[in-house]
Amino acid sequence: MALIELRDVSKSYHRDALDVPVLESVSIAVPEGDFLGLMGPSGSGKSTLLNLLAGIDRPSRGSIRIGDTDITRLSERALATWRARTIGFIFQFYNLIPVLTAFENVELPLLLTSLTKKQRRDHVVTALNIVGLTDRGQHYPRQLSGGQEQRVAIARAIVTDPTVLLADEPTGDLDAKSANEVLTLLQRLNQEFKKTIVLVTHDPHAAERTRRVLHLEKGTLVEQAVS
Amino acid sequence: MGLIASYNLRSMVVRKWTAAMTAGGIAMVVAVFVMTLAIAQGFRSTLVASGSPQNAIVLRKGANAESLSGVARADVPLIESLPQVARTADGRPLASPELVVAIALPRLTDNQPANVQVRGVGSRAFEIRDTLKVVEGRRFTPGSREINVGRLAVNRFKGLTLGSDVKFGSTTWKVVGIFTADDASFESEIWGDIDLMAPAFQRGGYQSITVKLVDPTTFDSFKAAVEGDPRLYLQPQRERDYYFAQSVAMTTLIRVFGSFVTLILAIGAVFGAMNTMYAAVAYRTREIGTLRALGFSRSRIVTAFIAESTMLAIAGGVIGCALALPVHGLSTGTTNFSSFSEVAFKFRITPLLLVEGLAFAALMGAAGGLLPALRAARIPVARALREI
Amino acid sequence: MKFLGLVLKSARRSKRRTALTVLSVAIAVFLFASLRAVLDGFNAGVEGSSSTRIVTQRSTSLFFEMPISHGEAIKSTAGVQDVTWANWFGGVYKDPQNFFAQYAIEPESYLRMYPELLLSPDEKRAFLEDRTGCIVGDGLARNYGFKIGDKITLQVGIPNYGTRDFDFTVRGIYKSGGAPVDNQSMFFHWKYADERSTQKGLAGWYIAVIANPDQAAQVAAAIDRKFANSPFETKTDTERAFQSSFVGMFGNINLLLGSIALAVVITTLFVAGNTMAMSVRERTMEIAVMRTLGFQSATIFLLIAGEGLLMALGGGIVGALLAWLLVNPRVFPTGGFIPEISVNTTNVAIGIGLSAVIGIVAGLIPATMASRLKIVDALRRVA
Repeated sequence: MALIELRDVSKSYHRDALDVPVLESVSIAVPEGDFLGLMGPSGSGKSTLLNLLAGIDRPSRGSIRIGDTDITRLSERALATWRARTIGFIFQFYNLIPVLTAFENVELPLLLTSLTKKQRRDHVVTALNIVGLTDRGQHYPRQLSGGQEQRVAIARAIVTDPTVLLADEPTGDLDAKSANEVLTLLQRLNQEFKKTIVLVTHDPHAAERTRRVLHLEKGTLVEQAVS
Repeated sequence: MGLIASYNLRSMVVRKWTAAMTAGGIAMVVAVFVMTLAIAQGFRSTLVASGSPQNAIVLRKGANAESLSGVARADVPLIESLPQVARTADGRPLASPELVVAIALPRLTDNQPANVQVRGVGSRAFEIRDTLKVVEGRRFTPGSREINVGRLAVNRFKGLTLGSDVKFGSTTWKVVGIFTADDASFESEIWGDIDLMAPAFQRGGYQSITVKLVDPTTFDSFKAAVEGDPRLYLQPQRERDYYFAQSVAMTTLIRVFGSFVTLILAIGAVFGAMNTMYAAVAYRTREIGTLRALGFSRSRIVTAFIAESTMLAIAGGVIGCALALPVHGLSTGTTNFSSFSEVAFKFRITPLLLVEGLAFAALMGAAGGLLPALRAARIPVARALREI
Repeated sequence: MKFLGLVLKSARRSKRRTALTVLSVAIAVFLFASLRAVLDGFNAGVEGSSSTRIVTQRSTSLFFEMPISHGEAIKSTAGVQDVTWANWFGGVYKDPQNFFAQYAIEPESYLRMYPELLLSPDEKRAFLEDRTGCIVGDGLARNYGFKIGDKITLQVGIPNYGTRDFDFTVRGIYKSGGAPVDNQSMFFHWKYADERSTQKGLAGWYIAVIANPDQAAQVAAAIDRKFANSPFETKTDTERAFQSSFVGMFGNINLLLGSIALAVVITTLFVAGNTMAMSVRERTMEIAVMRTLGFQSATIFLLIAGEGLLMALGGGIVGALLAWLLVNPRVFPTGGFIPEISVNTTNVAIGIGLSAVIGIVAGLIPATMASRLKIVDALRRVA
């Protein structure tokens, strides 16, 4: 059984009394340990798909199962708890909290667990160590480079040891060198730590680093050669 | 398109909300400012209205209130005979020997006893105070136990309506008339015949003599004549000056208190305005950069932001004035500590007071806008243009 | 508790804005605590009045006097244990502006019946022995620099006391052991004033101590019956009612100060609420991120509300303490008819409590805004 299973998922927004379809009858299965690339032009619905997977948006139709949970049936409250345990989200613009240090940013999701301060500390150190920024813990986001910020954001995403990592254009705002570092890191997380990853990107170089790629166009999956 | 429009609208609404809250804070300050000063204004004009420019009040030398003065009966004819004193058509002098005492009566509002001023007056007192109008009933008949009551006293105390019997000074008096006096403090008083009042209150002499002068300009010669008479230990004052002096202590107290409170409160509101304006500057950094790049000078930027803040504050000031306006004409009362009796007065919001309120608001706005405006002017153009 | 750090960090985001907000709350609480203190000052006499003392005055008004023989008649009324009397002197110390209360009292019985007048035994003896001696409150002594042994000359204010000035020697400086005895008055021998009066043997009001406070109304009625239909009818009331008639003289102070306090609170709500709203608006993205990380909307609500509460409480503590330090007779001496104003611990506690209320109310709307945020919409704003 696949870890992630989208069945017949549609999503449309209401704008000015019009129904704007964004996704139409998308079905995807992602096995555990996969590193899936989602590609497509702007407005193809790939980010919406990722948001649906993250449980921060709800489909208009269809079901989404991750592990044993049909997340479309969860309440807002249950969804939040589920996200904290299951999902690690990586944003294009890193979205670190500017008033918190790198260490505190990584610690943030751990505040939702029942871990002690000491245990949280150990987790944060481990996560920062994986992304190679152990020595930057006391820096504030503005004191870090873009690539470093994104690595801190990745540390924040993995610190709770989530089942699935979701990355929305994680290299979109980075120079080639930093982008390469981030992609290498994601690959390592997939291979070494067996994380299931879904990566949304429109950058073919980024897509190359995944295990397989799906293409979205105007809200539907289109068949293309699998890499 | 739709998304953009709704986003803009939303942020506009949020900014309107912010502006409204800032103006609201200033409005409250202005409302307090106007209301407290309206009390002072009302109290003062009530007392000042009691004085007529053509009248003089004669008190014992050194006495600054009627209750602390004493005039012998024998002094009255000496004053009356002076040529500066106006006369009736049949040649009788317009002078009224008077006596005031405070009696305790229960208020209508809370049934608590408070002091009402009772004034024993001479038979021509109504001719001397020509603002007095009997609006119900008639004047008291000299020599009878009848009284006239001021409209404000009737509205404030129990048992003073027309036809009531009022017990004080170990006798019962009948209310035969209600009078108005253009809101002057007389309207808070009870008037009766001095020749019955004095014995009723076990008072041997009078306290004051109020005279109508032939002409306001004769006051100086009248004063000289009284003070020059070795038989008289008396001192005339213009009636208006006398009542003005009576209002000073209370008016000053209210003004000092009101200013103190509003000043401190204003600082809080200015902080609020500063927050809003700093946010406005931050929000428009790019816009400011563009203007500067187009050649607008720093001083123009400063002026523009101070003007914006001032306008916002004046808008708040207008709301504050509007909030305060309903109290205008509202009747209240306090003790005049010169007479120890209650004076009813009305909140008085004059146009000048409103202008003061708006000026105060503008000042708050300018103060709140100054530092943010300076910050806006100091924004480096190049960096501002880069900002999102 | 672990979220406290987060809240503190957030409050430090815009230090200037936080500082301005904290200060404006501080100012509001300062004003509020001070206004409460003013109200307390006015009501002190009423609040502290004794339930065992009743006051007899002329039914006409307090400005009319009664023969001294009333004293014995009152004392013989059933339920009355002790009687004393006092007169208002109304003298002028140097200048009419220097107003303070002066009472001519029957010293022995008055001091016996007012244990609130705290005097050392030596001072008390010295005062009782000197016919022209006087005692002054420590507040009055501070305002005018009176010391024991000083001569005080009062000009006559009320014509009944003749025209000659009265000379007094300060024999004691009393402390007020509680309202209704304030510490800004002067007391001297009734005999000294009486012997120079044009009308002798008159008392302004009588104070009687009654055995049973529950019978105050009956005893008062019994006293008034004794003088009914005499030229000197009386009106007897509890000390509380007597005191509240003085407070009532100023007009509706409760309403005036209450309205001002309300305006203060509303102004501050505007300022603090505005700040929180601005702060939430700036943080939209962060809030969306935290929600994505799995923070419950209830947690976000508490974080934002907590931040408002914390800022307001900070301001409240500063303001209340400032009021406590600054608003006392040493800094703001009052005089005359205005009672001493001093911010006490109750005012401080109420002020801090108020700041908490301001913080919670001001944070309510922004916190609701933040917790209702649609994550996807908020994330899209920047991306």
